[in-house]
Amino acid sequence: MNVRPHPPEWISKLLRVVCKDDLFEEIEGDLLEFYDEWVTTLGRKKANQLYAWHALKFLRPFAIRRFSSKLDNQIMIRNYLKVAWRSLKKNKMFSTIKVGGFAIGIAAFTLISFFILDELNYDKHYENGNRIYRIANDYKGEEKWTSFPGPAAEIIRSNYPGIEKVGRLIPQSGWFQSGDNQLRTSSSPTNFYEEGFAYADPELLAILEIPMVYGNQEEALSVPRSIVISERKAQKYFPNQDPVGQTIILNDNLEEPYVVGGVMKNFPSQSHIDFDYLISLYQHEFWPGEQTNWCCWNYNIYVRLKSTTNPEELEEQLLTIRDYVAQYQERNNPSQAEDTKKYHTFILQPVADIYLKSDDIHDSGKHGNLQIVWLFVAIATLVLLLACVNFINLSTAKSANRSKEVGVRKVLGSRRKNLIQQFLTESFLICFVSVSIGISLAALFLPSFNEVAQKSLSIPFLSWWFIPGVLGFILLITFFSGLYPSFYLSAFRPVDVLKSSLSQGSKNSRLRSVMVVFQFSASIVLMVSALLVYRQLDFILNKDVGFDREQVVVIQGVSTMGEKSDIFKNELKSLSNVRSASLSNFIPISGTKRDGNGFWLEGRQDLDKQVGTQRWTVDGDYIETMGMNLLEGRNFGDMAQDSSSIIINQALASKLNLQEPIGARIENYLGTWTVIGLIQDFHFESMKMEIEPLALCPTTNGAAMIVKLQSEDLKESLTDISAKWDNLMPNQPIRYTFLDDSFEIMYENVTRAAIVFAAFAVLALIVACLGLFGLSAFMVEQRRKEISIRKVFGASLQNIFNLLTFNFLKMIVLSLVIAIPFSLVIMSRWLEDFEYAVGISWDVYLIAGITITVISLVTVSFESLRAGLINPTRGLKEE
Amino acid sequence: MRKVYIGELEEVVLLIVVMLQEEAYGVAITKEIDQQLDRKMSVSAVHATLHRLAEKGFVTSHLGGATAQRGGRRKRYFKVTPSGSQVLTKIQEARNLLWSQLPPNALTI
Repeated sequence: MNVRPHPPEWISKLLRVVCKDDLFEEIEGDLLEFYDEWVTTLGRKKANQLYAWHALKFLRPFAIRRFSSKLDNQIMIRNYLKVAWRSLKKNKMFSTIKVGGFAIGIAAFTLISFFILDELNYDKHYENGNRIYRIANDYKGEEKWTSFPGPAAEIIRSNYPGIEKVGRLIPQSGWFQSGDNQLRTSSSPTNFYEEGFAYADPELLAILEIPMVYGNQEEALSVPRSIVISERKAQKYFPNQDPVGQTIILNDNLEEPYVVGGVMKNFPSQSHIDFDYLISLYQHEFWPGEQTNWCCWNYNIYVRLKSTTNPEELEEQLLTIRDYVAQYQERNNPSQAEDTKKYHTFILQPVADIYLKSDDIHDSGKHGNLQIVWLFVAIATLVLLLACVNFINLSTAKSANRSKEVGVRKVLGSRRKNLIQQFLTESFLICFVSVSIGISLAALFLPSFNEVAQKSLSIPFLSWWFIPGVLGFILLITFFSGLYPSFYLSAFRPVDVLKSSLSQGSKNSRLRSVMVVFQFSASIVLMVSALLVYRQLDFILNKDVGFDREQVVVIQGVSTMGEKSDIFKNELKSLSNVRSASLSNFIPISGTKRDGNGFWLEGRQDLDKQVGTQRWTVDGDYIETMGMNLLEGRNFGDMAQDSSSIIINQALASKLNLQEPIGARIENYLGTWTVIGLIQDFHFESMKMEIEPLALCPTTNGAAMIVKLQSEDLKESLTDISAKWDNLMPNQPIRYTFLDDSFEIMYENVTRAAIVFAAFAVLALIVACLGLFGLSAFMVEQRRKEISIRKVFGASLQNIFNLLTFNFLKMIVLSLVIAIPFSLVIMSRWLEDFEYAVGISWDVYLIAGITITVISLVTVSFESLRAGLINPTRGLKEE
Repeated sequence: MRKVYIGELEEVVLLIVVMLQEEAYGVAITKEIDQQLDRKMSVSAVHATLHRLAEKGFVTSHLGGATAQRGGRRKRYFKVTPSGSQVLTKIQEARNLLWSQLPPNALTI
């Protein structure tokens, strides 16, 4: 007889699981009957498919097994919750530690997650975001930057059909009117200091999808000398009106007024650029012939591709641009032109990558740090993990108290499944309470967190996803932290626990030790990191940077004074509390104006590679005012005689191989200079960078007046200076900064990292100590009889103390051993970022080790001492 | 007591249960609906309908004996209850009442 074909086994199995027991037989029978028919008429394969399909269709309410009846569940859950609540109440201290530790961990986790989400969501608001790119240069993969010569945009616009729109932006401050300016409307005589100026092509508004309040994207910048202002600035200067067509005057320059072409919405906070004023580049030339010259790289180029364009192919096609660059270089530096043709390539950077993924690309925008984001992800996970571990630890440690309950429940007919359900319900209750407290804590600390992290985060209580998200999170951590304890607790055998022969809860003390070691290792890593970040910060702020930043005031916006700046300088010098004053455009603070040039030894321009150098124009008082150190030669004397003299720093001297720098002759694009002085290297960028070559050239004008004070009375000095200013410039308020403030702002990131590390190290330590405290209390309780007996036999307090703390000490030493290599790896990577950094020395570990030991000893000794001091009869009388 | 409602599909299935007498079980009913009414129903839908009819008290059921067919699985046979019969009769009467009042040639097909 033929074996009858039968359908796939798994379907029947599935049916058996899913269907109600009493319905399964008839359902499968009917299906099988049809199956036989299908096999003969339609073939085996088709029959299998149909069988599966029809079996699937039996997933209807009437046929599906009820996994447990509704009524039972409700009653039991109510009972579980009641018992959970009672056990929480019974051990108030334990419950507080459990919930408190959890809540702290969750608060930290919430804050960090919001921070990370915010960082990851930059530039995600564009409708055509996947088609918007910024073009960047790549030289050998070593150097990447975003600026292009002006004519490049026109070449791109006319030669590449795959590109829909091209627009240029000049974001770097200090380029003509970009950056900051004194601004007034044509109807007001008073100047206001304003920041956030940039130059932009008319198309840029459409490419970056900047929404307009007045005017429209196409026409707002399409007239020469037009300007688009942000909504908040429009409200300030033209309250409650449409300012299109109004005139704005910058820096009192009446000959070149700007006409408002439109008002744009303020840039969203999650945008890589944020400007209040966009000046049109339409038909604008900064000097005659500038728009056709390939000399100067000042324009960032944004493009919107057609939807059919493949960006990788376009990158290939863009290579033709380098021919234009090489063509220009051919004339004055042929070897450079060769290299350009070989090594210069172009990158299309998606707009959404600009904020976080521009690490190796030089531009002048604000950036997040992907590394920091990952670091935060790690810290957030760690803190949450610590809190969960605490929970698991305390739950299993306390299991002894619940073992009788488990025994009784089992005897009365609870199955293991029910008990697991019970303990998960209990975990859920605790998680729910902890998360609620945690989120409230997070909301409480959000303002201070925002301040440290420089964010404007808020907790989205009203978002549609908030409540489901939080519930999901609660469920997740319920399972994560509650699963092990519930399996552990429900596994007790009723005979053992009711006979009380189970050595209570000490069975898996090894696992608990592992978890404690994990907690302490994590705390030590965080603590060592915090210490090292602080040391680096201290190193930066106290290192001799080559100039004196104390009591130095930098007055900005002096360029509008014109001729009068000399008078101002002399008047300042005559003040008794001013030691010296200097007029310059340049200060040694990262992010301020820079002027990069190529220098050569005289006559070597066609032969040697250029030495990239900062050329700073300063007056004769600069070196004295800044407290810089002139090593050899002399300062500028008479400006007329010294017009081609130059003072160089050590870095430039060594790059040019000048053994005897004084008297040497060097040249750049402006002509030939005679070196008259050698100045000690000073840090003019952040200490993440090496000190680069720099040259000081004489000038008699500048945008900044640098004033060195010599008085203790800061307020009086400033009043005197302001009075002099107001005399000369009645319509422009004085604006100044302190050099030491600006210097510290340069290292804000480091300061922030230090605070964050310190805060989380403390949090982790608190959570770990809470756990340790709970464990030691439990340990003491377990060994109460033992301790009492020991005391009866004459053990001293010292003996008891040693007995109880020795174990914990061992764990702490082990944690140290584990934590050292970890923190070593992490921190040496962080310090790699700095050219000038402190070393990682062993005393950091000593400090961290001693601190941790002391803190944990104090934690443990509280319970240990109490146990040692207790009257032994109290521990022995009950049996 | 709540008035028990019977749907069109339920009515069809119930009628076929009555019609098939001793042979009314899932597969037979499904096939009968297909052949008599040219109406394709999946066997799961028929089961669901029968389940609803049973809940409303219009049918009772019992398991038959095991046979060599269909993998040895037993069949569940359905039988109409008095209240089921009553419902069917009522529907028929109501229809007859209305049909008898239709004017001749009122239906244009």
